[in-house]
Amino acid sequence: MSSSFQQEDEFKARLDTGLWLKLFRRALHLKRYLYPLFFAAILIASCDAAFAHITRWAIDGVVRDGLKANFTGYISAYLAATLLLCGGVWLFIELAGNISNRLAHDIRRDGFDKLQELEFGFYDTRPVGWLITRLTSDCDRLARIIAWGFLDIVWGTSYVVMIAASLLLMNWKLGLIVLAVLPPLALVSKMFQRKMLLSAREVRKFNSQITASYNESIQGVRTTKTLVREQENLAEFEQLSSQMFAAAVTNARQSALYYPIVMTLGSLAAGLALWRGGWLALNDALSLGTLVAFIQFAGQFFNPINQMARILTEMQGAQAAGERVMGLLATEPKIKDSPAVKQRLAETASRRATQPALSVIEGMTIDTRTLAPDGGPHAIDRIEFRDVTFRYENGPVVLDRFSLTVNAGETIALVGPSGGGKSTIVSLVGRFYEPTEGQVLINGVDYRERSLAWFQGQLGIVLQTPHLFKGTVRENIRYGRLDATDLEVEAAARLVNAHGFISALDQGYETEVGENGNRLSTGQKQLVSFARALLADPQLFVMDEATSSIDTETEQLIQRGLETVFHGRISFVIAHRLSTIRRASRILVISKGKIEESGTHEELLARRGHYHALYTSQFRREREADVIAGG
Amino acid sequence: MFAQFHVLWQLMRGQRFHYALALGSLVLATAFTYLVPLVGSATIDYAIAGRSPLDASPLLAALLALLGGAETVRTHLWIATLAMVALTGIGGVFTYLKGRLASLASDGIARRLKNELYDHLNHLPASHHDRADTGDLVQRCTSDVETTRQFLAVQVMEIGNAFILAATALPLLLSLHVPMTLISFALIGPIIAYGYIYFARVKHIFKSVDEAEGALTSVIQENLTGIRVVRAFARQDHERAKFARPNAAFRDRHLRLLRLMSWYWSISDFVALSQLGLTLLVGARWVATGELTVGMLFAFVSYLGMMLWPVRQMGRILTELGKTSVAVARIKEILAVAREPEPDARPDGDPVLHGALSVRDLRFNHGGNIPALNGISFDVAPGETLAILGPSGAGKSTLMHLLLRLYDYTEGSIRLDGHELSRLPRKAVRRQIGVVMQEPFLFSKSLRDNLRLGRVNAPDHEIEEAARAACIHDSITTFDQGYDTLIGERGITLSGGQRQRMAIARAVLKRPPLLILDDALSAVDGETESMILDALRKRHGRATTLVIAHRLSTLAHADRVLVLDQGRIIQTGTHAELSAVDGLYRRLWQIQTSVEADFQRELPAG
Repeated sequence: MSSSFQQEDEFKARLDTGLWLKLFRRALHLKRYLYPLFFAAILIASCDAAFAHITRWAIDGVVRDGLKANFTGYISAYLAATLLLCGGVWLFIELAGNISNRLAHDIRRDGFDKLQELEFGFYDTRPVGWLITRLTSDCDRLARIIAWGFLDIVWGTSYVVMIAASLLLMNWKLGLIVLAVLPPLALVSKMFQRKMLLSAREVRKFNSQITASYNESIQGVRTTKTLVREQENLAEFEQLSSQMFAAAVTNARQSALYYPIVMTLGSLAAGLALWRGGWLALNDALSLGTLVAFIQFAGQFFNPINQMARILTEMQGAQAAGERVMGLLATEPKIKDSPAVKQRLAETASRRATQPALSVIEGMTIDTRTLAPDGGPHAIDRIEFRDVTFRYENGPVVLDRFSLTVNAGETIALVGPSGGGKSTIVSLVGRFYEPTEGQVLINGVDYRERSLAWFQGQLGIVLQTPHLFKGTVRENIRYGRLDATDLEVEAAARLVNAHGFISALDQGYETEVGENGNRLSTGQKQLVSFARALLADPQLFVMDEATSSIDTETEQLIQRGLETVFHGRISFVIAHRLSTIRRASRILVISKGKIEESGTHEELLARRGHYHALYTSQFRREREADVIAGG
Repeated sequence: MFAQFHVLWQLMRGQRFHYALALGSLVLATAFTYLVPLVGSATIDYAIAGRSPLDASPLLAALLALLGGAETVRTHLWIATLAMVALTGIGGVFTYLKGRLASLASDGIARRLKNELYDHLNHLPASHHDRADTGDLVQRCTSDVETTRQFLAVQVMEIGNAFILAATALPLLLSLHVPMTLISFALIGPIIAYGYIYFARVKHIFKSVDEAEGALTSVIQENLTGIRVVRAFARQDHERAKFARPNAAFRDRHLRLLRLMSWYWSISDFVALSQLGLTLLVGARWVATGELTVGMLFAFVSYLGMMLWPVRQMGRILTELGKTSVAVARIKEILAVAREPEPDARPDGDPVLHGALSVRDLRFNHGGNIPALNGISFDVAPGETLAILGPSGAGKSTLMHLLLRLYDYTEGSIRLDGHELSRLPRKAVRRQIGVVMQEPFLFSKSLRDNLRLGRVNAPDHEIEEAARAACIHDSITTFDQGYDTLIGERGITLSGGQRQRMAIARAVLKRPPLLILDDALSAVDGETESMILDALRKRHGRATTLVIAHRLSTLAHADRVLVLDQGRIIQTGTHAELSAVDGLYRRLWQIQTSVEADFQRELPAG
């Protein structure tokens, strides 16, 4: 999967008009740009065609009347056509630009919206880079094709029609002769455009391989040096750069061939006009001006035909991108509020708007402020897994008839081999996935019957490599509760022992954490994410403990911070460090989707089973690390 | 501007012949294309309108003669048709040649630049790579080379084309009619100046659009990589608002650019068409007075049609010359960094080594106040396994980098079999050493090809043996395509432990006299580690091995242990010697026995 976003789309042999109409329909609300663009396109085509007519008129006039010819008329006609054309050019860039940019903006907004709703399963199979490409270059490309393609097709069609009409009206026989060049011209254009598009892709493909190759060679430069691979690497790279060279030269050859061929075809048309038209002129059946106009028109076909062939080819090339973007917009989230929940959300909202805080519901006086937006109780007293079986789409069973009850105030430590199902349990708790079979219950109610947004709002999550957003430390902590004051932010940081290290940073709370928080260490990122979670005051706390080594001092800070976070909440921790494990009220050894052992630290040690073995090796490792670090 | 042309001239080295041919073809192509309207012009004037051929300008007269004379053309008009098509065809052949030759030249230069850069990057000192930003380097090697290539392929030819057009059209038209020529070229200068000034001034707007796009992409990326956090705090609305700003900013800045472009193109269209109109109208008046023939006017208008497009591009091209010279400068900056210095190759070739290592008074400073290595001395006999132990920052990795000659030591000495390392070619030293790092780098090739990097001509059965020794063979055979499975971007992802074992197999295959394991088994469980270390001892009974260790199980396999702290050796000896004295080694060893005792204490009574 990770490779697919690097690859180019396949070329679609058939144009899917349905898809393009669907895309075009999205542009329909931009009427105030679309309609004028239609007229601008026709206006430009008319001006383009008018010039040859003016030439004809002027030449005939001068030949006939000499100095008495209507020069003011020619000048004004030419000037008018020029001004109109320039106005048209200004208009179409302005209008098509507006359509293309506004359309891209809107598709991008809708796509982004959709991504905020889709479940994590959707993300599992699509790398971030792939999704970014959909929202950036795909959106821009499709919008550009829609806007400029619309312009080119309207302009091209009307231009060709006008040239053809002019030719036929001036002299239909001669016109037909010249028009005979049109079909081969269109055919050749279409064929070459397709070839050039495909070979340009080939070039881009090699180019991205070359980029990857540079990347690899720089990142692996020490390995290259120690294996003394410089010569061999260069030989491999030279092969790649030669392939790109060959592809680029092929692409250039195709366009070098294309233009002479269509030019010759244009020349043929002009030549035919000269031949037959000249003969007619000699017999006074055609004026000199008309003859010149014919030759000029014959040479003008190339431009609109070329543009239309190009845009149609581009549409074929962008079809896969169109399918992906429209596919994204049409995807429905698999995890969302059921209709019943939606209805309750609406009812509760209207009741809150109309009734006082204390109201009588079903015979009981209830403080509606203690209710969740879906009308259920706000407090979470118990989480229960009831016979939960889970598998990722078509994958093997990860969790097998798993049952567990956790009450408020309890901390559950999950330990066991990787791939045993610990992360799955945690994801199911957060309703980032839903059970394949069985139920997860909140206070005895299936959580699918509660509001998703409310429930996930009750979660505090700290991941193994905690994610921070670009911005300051303060902004990152405040992400937990957007309306928190500076004092509250700092209070949360103090509670989890993060205040000390934050104050020691160059700019304290205003320090930029960098992309993904990379300017902080893993331990520091965890402390910040504790503060963030604490500020949100979640009822459920979920943590995937970092496995990488953290220095002893930070480790102690983290442990004391954890104490604050765990207090009074339901917590699930995928635990690696002994200090965290020992702090849990219950330890579950998870292996192969089942609970192998369960109990307190002392109970499990005494049993001398899996936990004992796990604990011993971890204990030894931590001790060794301590001793070595101590020097 | 002259300096910029000089840079381009330098770049064209090796391809100047191609360029000369391409320009030659261009001249011919242009010449033939010129003749086409002339045929039309001559035919209309002398064969159809019936003017006397005696009035014709020399060029038209010659052309007419070539076609067989006015009378023949009048009765056989198809001759003119044929001539037009043939001339366009011949011109087309040269146009084709021009395109092909220009591409051979420019793509050839791009290929040479890429190869040079690639090779150069591989030979830069490791210390340079420590500081350099990968993304920036890659950008220079790809985008900047592409900018240069485009200029060399398209713009260079367009500049040449414009010069040749002007140089050939001017005398031709002047020979037809001098005042008319002056009028036809009246607005050409202003058009070029307008384009140049315009594009120079909108450069910063192009940049601001690029920046807006970058900002947009980074907001999307931030959101998608942190999507779990977004959901965990139910911050979808906040994120939508955060996204709306850059999304709108990108749209609006782009629109601003387009607004400027629409003015540019419509005004330059207007000036260009005014030029055409001026020519047409003045020409028409002169035709009326008999000063000019219809055919001559036709020729002027046709030439102008050819000239206008390249001339309108000229302003843009000149601004792009500036962009290209910046790109070339960025490329040259990389090539200007000195490669790793090499002593002269030894006349007797690389020495064959047996792995006797001797380090004396070695000191090294990374540039800070505290030296990374502060005078260490030790010897390792061929075939001996030495474990190096110490906290992070003790100087273990620095020592390894000096052995590999990734850094150059300036004080003290390192000798392999009596040869001072700094006097041997780097590659000769590295060929003698197999190294496995904690986070080994594997290339995106098949597993087999990755292992074979150790020894290029290793037969398949030796590759398998090496894989077995590193306990990775069984994992490899579970993959669908076994040893041919691709890893990396286009293939599967290996776990940390699998990568380490791959790197060990790769080093084993190399059969070096000196093997260095830098915490190379940290992600492998204790049992597997034991198996691997045993296998290494059996296979490489005579290879000298340095093991940087972070746990006791690794130490158990060493003949001797060296404890390093703050760049100094604080303890050294065999297991028996070190167990007898207090120190890091003994404390570590004692954990083994204390673990059980600690458990007993923790367990509830009973």
